Amino acid sequence: MSDAVVEIDGVWKIFGDRADEAMAAIRADGIGKAEVLERFQAVVGVKDASFKVDEGEVFCLMGLSGSGKSTLVRHINRLIEPTAGSVRILGEDIGKMRQDALRALRGTKIGMVFQNMALLPHRSVRDNIGFALELRGMDAYHCAQLADQALETVSLHGYGDRLPSELSGGMQQRVGLARALAADPEILLMDEPFSALDPLIRRNLQDEFLGLSENLKKTTVFITHDLDEAIRMGDRIGIMKDGEIVQIGTAEDIVTAPADDYVADFVAGISRLKLVSAAKIMVSPEEYQARRKPIEMAMEHPEAAPEDDLDTLVELSTHSDLPVLIKSDGALVGVVDKNTLLHGLQGSADE
Amino acid sequence: MSTQANIGAEQRNIDERDVSIEAFCVTKADYYAPIFERYQRGQLPRWHMNIWAVIAPWLWSAWRGVWLMFWISLAIDVIAVVCLMQVVKFTPLLAEAQLDPDANTTLISRYTNWINTYGTIGWAVLILGRLWMGSQANRWYYDLYNRWRIEPSVAHGVSPKRLGLGVLIILICSPITTYRATQLRLDERACFNQVRATESVESLLAQYHQVPDVPALSTAVREDAAAAQARFDQLDAISDRTAEQNTARSAARSEARDLGRSAGLVEEYLAISKRDRFDCFFIDDFPTLARLDPPEDVTYRRVTDEDGITEVVAQVKPPVEGRKVTLFTYSAESIDISINWLRASFAGAFDAMTNVLRQSLIRVEVAFMQTPWPVVAFLFLVLSWTYTGMGTTAFVASSLAFLALFELWQIAMQTMALVVVSTAVCVFVGLPIGIWMAKNKIARFITEPILDVMQTIPSLSYLVPAVAFFGISQPPAVLATVVFAMPPMIKLTALGIRQVPESTKEAALAFGASER
Ligand SMILES: Nc1ncnc2c1ncn2[C@@H]1O[C@H](COP(=O)(O)OP(=O)(O)OP(=O)(O)O)[C@@H](O)[C@H]1O
Ligand SMILES: [Mg+2]
Repeated sequence: MSDAVVEIDGVWKIFGDRADEAMAAIRADGIGKAEVLERFQAVVGVKDASFKVDEGEVFCLMGLSGSGKSTLVRHINRLIEPTAGSVRILGEDIGKMRQDALRALRGTKIGMVFQNMALLPHRSVRDNIGFALELRGMDAYHCAQLADQALETVSLHGYGDRLPSELSGGMQQRVGLARALAADPEILLMDEPFSALDPLIRRNLQDEFLGLSENLKKTTVFITHDLDEAIRMGDRIGIMKDGEIVQIGTAEDIVTAPADDYVADFVAGISRLKLVSAAKIMVSPEEYQARRKPIEMAMEHPEAAPEDDLDTLVELSTHSDLPVLIKSDGALVGVVDKNTLLHGLQGSADE
Repeated sequence: MSTQANIGAEQRNIDERDVSIEAFCVTKADYYAPIFERYQRGQLPRWHMNIWAVIAPWLWSAWRGVWLMFWISLAIDVIAVVCLMQVVKFTPLLAEAQLDPDANTTLISRYTNWINTYGTIGWAVLILGRLWMGSQANRWYYDLYNRWRIEPSVAHGVSPKRLGLGVLIILICSPITTYRATQLRLDERACFNQVRATESVESLLAQYHQVPDVPALSTAVREDAAAAQARFDQLDAISDRTAEQNTARSAARSEARDLGRSAGLVEEYLAISKRDRFDCFFIDDFPTLARLDPPEDVTYRRVTDEDGITEVVAQVKPPVEGRKVTLFTYSAESIDISINWLRASFAGAFDAMTNVLRQSLIRVEVAFMQTPWPVVAFLFLVLSWTYTGMGTTAFVASSLAFLALFELWQIAMQTMALVVVSTAVCVFVGLPIGIWMAKNKIARFITEPILDVMQTIPSLSYLVPAVAFFGISQPPAVLATVVFAMPPMIKLTALGIRQVPESTKEAALAFGASER
């Protein structure tokens, strides 16, 4: 028994009529994607994916278009049946759930926001938002009340009686979000909710969502193909490539220690100022003294904590010629001088 | 530098494509690759021809797997050949007519006319068709190439097997069609006689099982006929016959007559030439091969006995000796009998349905007819105004005026009632079926053809079975209307449901909706 809210273990998804044969062949001979396509006319959508999401955490799945993000996330509410592997939600294996239990789970515990909004075109915005509640058997009065509350949360007050087609893309996406929130689920699945929007609105919605998740503390799986977004939103990030999760870690882990060239390429253009902490680049006092010169304790050194980011260090360094001392609980744990800082900013901290 | 890279890229592109064209064409890729490229650039002139496709379009297309072209070119050539064969057919007739001094001149001019027309059309179709095929061949081949790139299982390359198949198809279709075109229309009676003779020979062979073949049968039957005739003559010669002798005499007479007729038929059978038989079998109407014993002729009747219990009684008529029917007649009679049975056994259900329909019709009719006409007219106008626009309202107004002025108001109201009831029935029956059909593959598989048939048969013919079951009055009219109006209803329902986008369904599922 673990306390992870979402737990995905060794999930494979192969599309095609001969998926099971293909799976067996992969298990037996370890054949690759191309060969699977050729021999079984089957597409490997997700390849042996495993991860856990803890309570209240925002987990970002990131990868290029077609890397299987949508496919993987649909396993979490079993819109897609895995070819192999298991999915546990709140400790329960949903692969073994009966249909009605599964429906209840989807209606009460999991909310989903779709890449293409997927609002129901013939229902008003309010009825769209109240959809899950209505399916749950709630009466119309309470449905409408909760829907209006959710509309308020996404600052769309007063649009309840419009049809989705009368709203702009950004507003529709907010309706999608409100629909997911209305049922007050414990888990939110967000499939590229902001990808189709222009940068300004996207930033707005991101901020709104961050504000919301601060308050609501929902366990969230957030999909995006934009690393900036992933870093902004995610506590942890999983990077997918061709259906495979190649690296999981915090934004800092991924930026400072990319697992392979693919990830390195991804993070190459990212500003490290706010991501990397002093602890990642600092040199221990002994090493510093051995290589450079002794630290003159008498002088007024600028000081910082290990978890301060590079931005802070740069700020401190501009006011002094002396190296920055990194102190934890008053004890000196490391030193960052200008050389180290510049290397750290550029991304070649290991010299 | 960048342009150079671009050129390099383009070069690579073309090479790659050449490779794929080679994989597609297998042979003669160096002929097709530039043609495909010119076609892509829009530089292929209209008069560009593929020589092989001009000479033997069906062979070329079978060899290359362009089946669309195979069928089209085959059809064109068959049409041309049939036209030209008309010339072959009429030329000897013309010559004959010209030799004959008594022949009327209209016949000669008609033959000449036919020969000229058919000749011109035949040659024109042949030549223009070939030219068209030649210019179209490479274009179609290019389309095939594009389809192959998407779907590698599409026919590609060259294949002797396909060629063989093409030749086989041609061999099956062409000679007999050509032959048919050279023949004059067959005498239907001749074929009918043929069938009759063949049948009687078969039954005679069953009787005379000792005879080895048909000529022997002929002699055997003749001998028997002569024997019977001799017996008759002998008996006939006796002037004062006993009653016994009298019966024997008439028996002998009828036997002699029957055998004589059989002998005639056997003779006729022997006289049928191979060619006549072939003509009748392949060229005349589709041969009805089977002759069956007719189904048991049963009449079902509802009988109420003295206790007031009603039951269905079946009366079997004795079969008519030796009557044989075709499959068609057999089915017709069986259907007749089963309808009879249905009507007798489920009279209650039918009566109840008729009653329900009649009652609702009457109610609706009363509603329409007893409402004063100004009110009805006003309602119609208001309805059309609110739901459509100005134009429709004007149209409705003029139609109403027409009905009123031409004294059709009452009839129109009756019809309205009929339409209302039919629509209600349609919705109640059609909607569930439509939903079921959209949800269930098997249901779709079963209902779709039935619906198609329902739609294509003229609605008047539904009236006949409806009348058979429900008697003459308004209810069958309702049913006929329903049968006519329901298929679109069902189909559109199914279509509407199936056209719900995948993503919308997914979203509904994700929020806990059932699959429904
Ligand atoms: N129903 C399906 N049948 C066959 N193949 C599929 C199906 N759905 C997805 N795939 C394949 O699975 C792979 C991953 O698709 P997926 O939609 O998960 O990508 P994605 O990472 O969400 O991309 P995007 O960023 O464009 O949304 C693709 O190669 C796609 O071709
Ligand atoms: Mg996607």
